[in-house]
Amino acid sequence: MSGGGALSGGGKTKRGKVGKRKKIKRVGFHLDMTPLVDITFLLLTFFMFTTTMATPQIMEMTVPPDIDTPVDVKESELMTLLLDDDGKIYWFMAKEKAVATTFNEIKAIALRENLAQKNRLITVLKVGESTAYGNAIKILDQLNLAEVGITEQISKDIDKDGKPTKRQRKFTLLLLDEKDKDKIKESAL
Amino acid sequence: MPKVKEKRVGFVIDMTPLVDITFLLLTFFMFTAKFKSEAESEQKFVIERPKSSADTSKIPEKDLAVIKVAFTDSTKVDTAYYYEMTTEKDWLAVREKSNSLTAEQKAKAQIRVTKDQLNEVVNSTYRINSKTKFAIDGDKGIRFKWISDAMDILRKNKFTSFNYVTDKVQ
Repeated sequence: MSGGGALSGGGKTKRGKVGKRKKIKRVGFHLDMTPLVDITFLLLTFFMFTTTMATPQIMEMTVPPDIDTPVDVKESELMTLLLDDDGKIYWFMAKEKAVATTFNEIKAIALRENLAQKNRLITVLKVGESTAYGNAIKILDQLNLAEVGITEQISKDIDKDGKPTKRQRKFTLLLLDEKDKDKIKESAL
Repeated sequence: MPKVKEKRVGFVIDMTPLVDITFLLLTFFMFTAKFKSEAESEQKFVIERPKSSADTSKIPEKDLAVIKVAFTDSTKVDTAYYYEMTTEKDWLAVREKSNSLTAEQKAKAQIRVTKDQLNEVVNSTYRINSKTKFAIDGDKGIRFKWISDAMDILRKNKFTSFNYVTDKVQ
């Protein structure tokens, strides 16, 4: 440990002012740094083990406000994703028959349908009461991933003011109802 | 002819770089360390958060209210809502204002609430600080009904924008 303390500061001689005292020439001094280093290592290991690097992140979600007046929407502009209680996914446009799909396909579907109807498409996600919450998040995650591509494509369109078109996302999250369950049964036939 | 054995009196290693690096690491870890809040230290359950990749925004630290939905034991049957807020002043006021809370609940930093009580505390939160941001921190295995009910409560109390707490995909 003595190596750390061997920085001899005492070697310098002050110029000019010469005191009456007899000058002792210092060749260096030794400072025992062992306790300091001990404590430092102890603290270091403590902080290293207690810190968690991965802080949780968030996924933003906006739901429509609680209003009683129903809003009419065109059925052709409605894309519905169904997630049933067993975690199976189905999707359909407007009033078409529900088609079974998987988590991996959602992104491609969302991208395709959204670009076919720029900024008009309304995505509805209906989730079964007993399905695991993680499954719903997985779908939302896929939709968010698709959103990146959609925004990019839409912003390529230049409006009449010469500005890129803004993406307007229309999305709702609902619970799966009886009608949707019938629809799922129907698709299995 | 045998070698003359050199007598070693000792050796010196220059430990300066080692100590330098150690101090550097120490200061780094000291500054980045975040300690558990009071509410978190009261928490007796572990939330296995769902994984997400798209959103990279970090959880806000100020004016945040968290609704936690988790399995309270390993059997994964029992569930309840837990409520906590990061701003101490608001949190005290909310607990004071919510009449249905018991004295025991009011003393805690993280409270276990029923659905009706959740509605009441969310309502009090809106009255005290309408700028509060909400986060739903649910276990990924929880039934969606629990989350849906919590979302309904938030929506009824005019919090239409909120966050889901997730973990980043590694």
